[in-house]
Amino acid sequence: MEKEGFWGLQWQSSGAKLPPELNSGSAASDQLPQCFLNLNWKQPMAHDADFESALSSLVSSPCSNPPASADGNGIGELIGRLGGICNSNDISPSSRYRSADASCYSTLLNSPPKLNLSVMDHRQQGRGGPPMPVNRVPGPHIGPFSAEPGFEDGAARLSCFAGRSSGSFAGQFGFLEPGNLSQASRSQSPKGGFGSCVGVGQSRSERPAHLEMEMRSKIGGSSTPEATELGNGPEESSLSDRMTADASTLRAITDNNSGKWKTAAKRKGREAPLSSSATNPPANMTEEENSDAKRCKPADRNGGAKNAAVKPKTEQNGDPAHREGKDNDHKPPESPKDYIHVRARRGQATDAHSLAERVRREKISKRMKFLQDLVPGCNKVTGKAVMLDEIINYVQSLQRQVEFLSMKLATLNPQMDVSMENLLPKDMYQSRGLMPQPVYPAEIGTVLSYAHQPQTVALQSIVTSSLEAQFSLNSLQSSLQQSQSMQHATTDAYTDAPSQLGGLWEDDLQSVAQTGFGQNHEPT
Amino acid sequence: MISASSSSASSSRKKKMKQAESKWRTAAQERIYRRRLLEALRATASGAGPRAVKEAADSALALTARGQSQWSRAILLGRCRPRRKLLLKAGGKVRRGRRRPRPAAPVPVAAAAPAPAGKKVRDRLRVLGRLVPGCRQLSAPNLLEEAADYVAALEMQVKAMRALADALSAASLNAAAAGEAESNVV
Repeated sequence: MEKEGFWGLQWQSSGAKLPPELNSGSAASDQLPQCFLNLNWKQPMAHDADFESALSSLVSSPCSNPPASADGNGIGELIGRLGGICNSNDISPSSRYRSADASCYSTLLNSPPKLNLSVMDHRQQGRGGPPMPVNRVPGPHIGPFSAEPGFEDGAARLSCFAGRSSGSFAGQFGFLEPGNLSQASRSQSPKGGFGSCVGVGQSRSERPAHLEMEMRSKIGGSSTPEATELGNGPEESSLSDRMTADASTLRAITDNNSGKWKTAAKRKGREAPLSSSATNPPANMTEEENSDAKRCKPADRNGGAKNAAVKPKTEQNGDPAHREGKDNDHKPPESPKDYIHVRARRGQATDAHSLAERVRREKISKRMKFLQDLVPGCNKVTGKAVMLDEIINYVQSLQRQVEFLSMKLATLNPQMDVSMENLLPKDMYQSRGLMPQPVYPAEIGTVLSYAHQPQTVALQSIVTSSLEAQFSLNSLQSSLQQSQSMQHATTDAYTDAPSQLGGLWEDDLQSVAQTGFGQNHEPT
Repeated sequence: MISASSSSASSSRKKKMKQAESKWRTAAQERIYRRRLLEALRATASGAGPRAVKEAADSALALTARGQSQWSRAILLGRCRPRRKLLLKAGGKVRRGRRRPRPAAPVPVAAAAPAPAGKKVRDRLRVLGRLVPGCRQLSAPNLLEEAADYVAALEMQVKAMRALADALSAASLNAAAAGEAESNVV
């Protein structure tokens, strides 16, 4: 998928040097973080089933670590290894650390209850090593933060990683006594990102057992959507939101999971996303979907698609889905995974036709709701017909506006070239005070159309370059970097869209468009 | 257990739907579009008329959509036939023979939804299908999705074109004023 490609390219472009083995080591996994994890388990793993076997092998491997609690070190080293493999090129301490402790992640599965590892011990043992490589694991998003050495930052990053990974990789990593970490890092977290991660870490401080299950399932599942999220130019707030949702999900699951992993997980797991999905960004839902779907796959319990069936309903009704959860427990497992399975709600017809109809109707109503948000003034209107009326009117009015503006631009067109030359020397003062908005070509060059505070240097360089035949991506990108008002999210989106996957596509499309503009020659 | 035979791709569509709005609202997309719009406008012959400008603007908009939506592919295809292969490769969902004269009679939308099928609703869905380029024979849920994308794109287009028109007119005013000042001085 394009998003995965984005994500992968972002990894490369952001300078995080993944080892080449990353791609080769992963047998059939299609997601970057997934393969990354597979790598760390020392075996190429295609699916979670293999993952389990790798885990068991790890469990059996002896732990040769001296220091205080083997558990703590095991898991901490695990994380360190994870990060170490990631950042093998960058950080020297990581290599030092890795060589020191070969492979002792044994206790992962052996003692899930003892998750109160004193990461403090572990941290004290491997000073800058483990925490630092760890920071790379979450992905390019945390990449810029990795530049600072030091224990405090490492600890902060470790907590961040723990916080994040409990959403993505495993509850197991989250267990890393985020309580401990957060204590240490709270005083040291230098950046807002860490603060958010720390906050999440704190939310996970109580974590009962059964995290091995979580890990198996979550690693596959959530890392995927997280990858896509990262690829889409994530923002820290959204990530922390997602992580809190995951935290609540996992906590709900594990809290109710004391013996009935099968049923309780599904029910509570579904309820948690229900409550949280309302408050979290919609991207969260897909993450829950994937995680739930994946949770069922390796476990081979009730058909994983059963959860997928509930997902279309999660955001709509809490109660019916809850009831569906109960129904789910009694249904037999097994179902092809590419189907969306629908549960009959209480008091509703259960034949195939009506169920299919209901699914379609809900799809349609979901889209209508989306449109309702898009079109202003549609909130008060009820009923499909009237709402469609409003939508049609809105589309027509927009099209009329486009026509009117195009007429206006047509009259202005002959002045365009003239204006370009005049704009160059004047844009500086113009953009400052005279014009309500920055000058248009300057807008294109810089990113400051929303900032109203153009930087003269950037402006000049950009405008001069923009007056040439073609805008070069480089200049735009440099302007992007210079401008402070832009969040890196938009930057990422911008660099993603034109430069990465769509290079060839863009050129071709541009030539297509140009031929449509009435030119005689066809550039190839 | 009853299964509706929607593939898991619908989950990706849900994601797409949620992101459609945010995708068009980002500043980055607007920047991209403005750049393309400017290029397109420069490419049009001056004095070609408002219709050419509108077509240029629409093509730039469809370009910015990167062929991921039905209407954008329809616009781009409509402009230029020999490049259909490119768009097929990119979008993958273009149907052949779209240029064939469609039956003018009101063809019911494919997979007509019985639930939204009040007569009024169906009529309006048809009208909407005619409004959105290239979406006449779409089923109800797809049509609504395309409409949402199209509405967001149109909003961005209007915003960008208005900004461009304002900037150009202001610039020309300044030029005129400067010219006058110079002439007065002289």
